[in-house]
Amino acid sequence: MTVIFGIAAGFAFLGALGVVLSQRTLYSALSLVVNMVSLAVLFLLLDAQFLAAVQIIVYAGAVMVLFVFIIALLSPGAEERVRPLELRMLLGGVAAIVFTLVIGRLALNGITVGPNGRLHGGLGPFAPTVVNAHGQVQTLGEQLFTTYLLPFEVTSLLLLVAAVGAVYLSKRRRVEQ
Amino acid sequence: MSGMFQGFLILSAALFSIGAVGVLVRRNPLVVFMSIELMLNAANLALVTYARYTHTMAGQIFALFVIAVAASEVVVGLALITGVYRSGRHLDLDELSEMSE
Repeated sequence: MTVIFGIAAGFAFLGALGVVLSQRTLYSALSLVVNMVSLAVLFLLLDAQFLAAVQIIVYAGAVMVLFVFIIALLSPGAEERVRPLELRMLLGGVAAIVFTLVIGRLALNGITVGPNGRLHGGLGPFAPTVVNAHGQVQTLGEQLFTTYLLPFEVTSLLLLVAAVGAVYLSKRRRVEQ
Repeated sequence: MSGMFQGFLILSAALFSIGAVGVLVRRNPLVVFMSIELMLNAANLALVTYARYTHTMAGQIFALFVIAVAASEVVVGLALITGVYRSGRHLDLDELSEMSE
């Protein structure tokens, strides 16, 4: 477990660094694919098999294909070079480390994790063994269509609006002169 | 077990910070969009981690919603970028912010 976590976390971290530091946009996209796949492995470690599959299908499949397609279509190779040792990048690196420390400290403070390393507030009914015995996808689906039905429907509306908006934006407009 | 939990949270914080710095530092709108994806994914990792270690389901459900929102955001954003490119402008966020009218 710990070894797999270490490998996947390292790849996720390197992929994230690659996204920000790559000189060429296509390399950024490929680093993002590495990051997504490592995150899918981490989801598997967290007993979220369905989310791991969705992560691969939606992100590494659909979203990244869209990105690579747009990059190939536009080929914005003329971006001015960002050298890693530029002042901006140095400041960015310092800011990233500070952000990480602050967010990590907040995430691990006494509200969620007590001094003995245990979580406060008690545990819910969805222990991994219970969920896996009942079926991961079944449990998710039952929750999605009962407790979380309203957000689910709102999400479908959001997807519809996004599709209509994309069609409208990419429609070729006549130049009025 | 709690060591793993903290490892997941620290990794999530690190990925989020790298994505935030990418949004602030890079000028290419495509890379900025990818950094936003990075931040959303880091948030997803934190959600799933809490869902796993508190034995609840809400984190995973919410992560699914985040994925849907991220997908629609990419669709609209890339349509905007192609629109800007088609209008003959250079794809550079600093220039674009000055040319807005």
